[in-house]
Amino acid sequence: MEAEDLYIKPGNQERGWNDPPQFSYGLQTAAQGAPKRTPLNKRVPPPQLTGSLSPVPGTSPTSTVPMTPPTNPLAPPPCSMNMPPRPCQVAAPPVGGMMMMATSPPPCHVVEHTESASDQSESEPDVVDVVTLLNWALTACRHTVKKQVCDDVAKRLKLFEDMWRSGKLSLPVRRRMNGLVQELKSWNWDAADEVHRALMVDHVNEVSQWMVGVKRLIAETRNLNSDLLHRQEVDRSLDTSSTANSN
Amino acid sequence: MREWRVAMATYQEFIQQNEDRDGVRFSWNLWPSSRLEATRLVVPVSCLFTPLKERPDLPPVQYEPVLCSRANCKAVLNPLCQVDYRAKIWACNFCFQRNPFPPSYAGISDVNQPAELMPQFSTIEYIVQRGPPNPLIFLYVVDTCLEEEDLQALKESLQMSLSLLPPNALVGLITFGRMVQVHELSCEGIAKSYVFRGTKELSSKQIQEMLGLTNPSATGPQGRPAAPQDPAVTCRFLQPVHKVDMNLTDLLGELQRDPWPVPQGKRPLRSTGIALSIAVGLLEGTFPNTGARVMMFMGGPPTQGPGMVVGDELKTPIRSWHDITKDNARHLKKATKYYDALANRAASNGHSIDIYACALDQTGLLEMKCLSNLTGGHIAMGDSFNTSLFKQTFQRVFSKDHNGEFRMAFGGTLEVSTSRELKVSGAIGPCVSLNAKGPCISENEVGVGGTTQWKICSLSPSTTLALYFEVVNQHNAPIPQGGRGAVQFVTQYQHSNTQRRIRVTTVARNWADAQSQIQHIESSFDQEASAVIMARLGVFRAESEEGPDVLRWLDRQLIRLFMFHLRRSPFLQVFNNSPDECSYYRHHFVCQNLTQSLIMIQPILYSYSFHGPPEPVLLDSGSILPDRILLMDTFFQLVIYHGETIAQWRKAGYQEQPEYENFKHLLVAPVDDAQEILQTRFPMPRYIDTEHGGSQARFLLSKVNPSQTHNNLYSWGQETGAPILTDDVSLQVFMDHLKKLAVSSAA
Repeated sequence: MEAEDLYIKPGNQERGWNDPPQFSYGLQTAAQGAPKRTPLNKRVPPPQLTGSLSPVPGTSPTSTVPMTPPTNPLAPPPCSMNMPPRPCQVAAPPVGGMMMMATSPPPCHVVEHTESASDQSESEPDVVDVVTLLNWALTACRHTVKKQVCDDVAKRLKLFEDMWRSGKLSLPVRRRMNGLVQELKSWNWDAADEVHRALMVDHVNEVSQWMVGVKRLIAETRNLNSDLLHRQEVDRSLDTSSTANSN
Repeated sequence: MREWRVAMATYQEFIQQNEDRDGVRFSWNLWPSSRLEATRLVVPVSCLFTPLKERPDLPPVQYEPVLCSRANCKAVLNPLCQVDYRAKIWACNFCFQRNPFPPSYAGISDVNQPAELMPQFSTIEYIVQRGPPNPLIFLYVVDTCLEEEDLQALKESLQMSLSLLPPNALVGLITFGRMVQVHELSCEGIAKSYVFRGTKELSSKQIQEMLGLTNPSATGPQGRPAAPQDPAVTCRFLQPVHKVDMNLTDLLGELQRDPWPVPQGKRPLRSTGIALSIAVGLLEGTFPNTGARVMMFMGGPPTQGPGMVVGDELKTPIRSWHDITKDNARHLKKATKYYDALANRAASNGHSIDIYACALDQTGLLEMKCLSNLTGGHIAMGDSFNTSLFKQTFQRVFSKDHNGEFRMAFGGTLEVSTSRELKVSGAIGPCVSLNAKGPCISENEVGVGGTTQWKICSLSPSTTLALYFEVVNQHNAPIPQGGRGAVQFVTQYQHSNTQRRIRVTTVARNWADAQSQIQHIESSFDQEASAVIMARLGVFRAESEEGPDVLRWLDRQLIRLFMFHLRRSPFLQVFNNSPDECSYYRHHFVCQNLTQSLIMIQPILYSYSFHGPPEPVLLDSGSILPDRILLMDTFFQLVIYHGETIAQWRKAGYQEQPEYENFKHLLVAPVDDAQEILQTRFPMPRYIDTEHGGSQARFLLSKVNPSQTHNNLYSWGQETGAPILTDDVSLQVFMDHLKKLAVSSAA
């Protein structure tokens, strides 16, 4: 999972008051079982029945922070020189590159890795590679899986390809689909499945129509006899080498 | 005094260790040995028990538990039992019956003990073979009277969930609006559905007949529906998700808004009651006694047919607390009774019902809450299906643990055994009674009583029951031999991987003579557990009795701080919360574990400043300061409140300037900490970012103790803290009052 797949988007403030932020699938699964960095579970004991109010932290007269009333010109906050230790020092968060919210950005502002021209050439996956790999798996399945199912999958793969070619799929989706087929190629069924799940959670509106076909493809391919897959591998590499030669 | 403090500190450790290992927190950890003394303690001997507490370090064993052979005992072999290794006999610690070990235990000895006899396995889990594994079932019941945007978002969430379901699960779809449609899920051909009128109540048998589930070719002997395992009659309406996911995805994608036009000034006609009755009947007829979840999604209240909560005229608003107290809620009793009957049927079949209610106005949770409360189902409440609150809460239903296994469990039953000096008064939590008679049942019923067995149709690792006991030893009777009382909890359930499992927890506590050891008994008191245990009792009574009586009863309990907050919490104070909101909060309060329940009664408040690391502060108006950021967790809301000066600095943009990077860090710190909570909490809380003078600041202000109200601000002579504008009583005043009450009642 790339750093770009661990992100947080703001909630939908238009539809739900105080809608919480939305975490990507990667962030949510990473959080399961991970120990809390700063567990907020302490309480202050209540004041005694007899006495005056127990001192509330911060009310001591030794407070050095200026508290200017609103009408006067505002004194600035303490400079970095006097910085106290940063609160959360124990175990860093899982991956760098996470964008945090300090204030609420306007709705639907997606905080993601932005595309630049140089990025494009470096990391833009090739639709042909991806589709070829998917079709390899589908062809392998046709030996044993019902025709109707394979046709249904094929229909969805075609839809996927069309959407890609007509620019309807965002870069993260394209990139992650490339990752998915790499896992398929290496017979890492669980990993491929996990990528499909992450895409369904994070980008359901882009992928819902065709992703179920990919899901089925993974499920059927993993059930195939391994000999069949080997044979298919050989065929596929012969195909690609002949294509390469002809270029 | 110092000894007492040392004793307290040790008890804290003892309490924590026991909770970590066994998922149990008792109100008292030393038990008064006579009935009379026990009743004097106000808080009964009781506990919070989390049957499926996450125990990543506990590997299950793959054999059947050994049971006591006495017919009315059947306790499970545990570390408290006396064992004669030479004669291969064990003595039940509950009924003292001597039992021979089964042949497979021939090799045990002092140095070769089976796991279940070792003290560290006071909690142990068994995997048992009980017939062929049953698949889990997920039946979606979907309201189509939604706005386009909401319907689209809901459809996408449902499509997404098909990728999250356990692969071999069975899935089904019922949609409803004015009519109710049960969709046939086949792999080929045109999708068919069976349509029912939304107004006509049908019996379970009629529903099954109309759905063709009892047709002659599919009948077994004596005309009963054929066994579910019979492939010939595998229900067309509940199919394995790995077979129908493509078709179901398309079907969901094509769902349309309910076509019945909604005239001006009217609500859509929603036949929720019939839809649910068909769902329950369908499952009853095809898969009784196997783990199943009905997941109901609704965007508004039921407006037609049995179970309607409000009529279709918009000018008649849905019932408020005012209407209810004035006995002006026309449909309330009838609707509640209707859903209660459905809930009980579902529970007796071992099926749970979730409610996902997303609408700006109330949807009828007050009438429908029993559907989830009795079956262990979830209730999620949001403003719209197109919100992160709903989407992520729904996603988290399918969350997995560190082993990659689903956290949800099904078909649970809990059985409790006790030593003879103790009896079971009842349980409060998401359960129903199994009406199991036995020698351990107390005549004093508390909560769901009259039984030592309960059914919990759906469980999560945080599902927690409160169990109430009665000490029955007579006054002046000698302390029982061995000096300890014991309780055993046996939970049988279906794991999400379809294995049947049995988890056994056996705990013991010392008896103490209250006459001579009252100080020791007092030092064993667990204030936190007791607060939640009494609060659950309060909520249970509030749901079944008049409100003000409960508050008066609560005032007589002497757990001061928590009672103060409980009294003002949405669980008991109904102003500012609709009947649906109260139902929602109460539902979670009686299901959640201790830590989460405590947050609900007494929210946590942390203060962030330049003066050091974040620190917990009193939930008091004195904690609200201009140069502090406060993070408050009420469980249902996370509030970040920026003090006046902080807000001004933020507005002036200092965080953007490099020389004020520390200010930027300060602003980010509470956000990061809130995020850690947001990432895992179920259900997803609301997230409020506000500041001094902000309209949303009221969420903080209403929770803090108003020690400085406009009545006494100037009498203190200092200008610290922000005054809270309220006439609500302050903690000091309340505690003074309680102290007077306590003294006078003991006199």
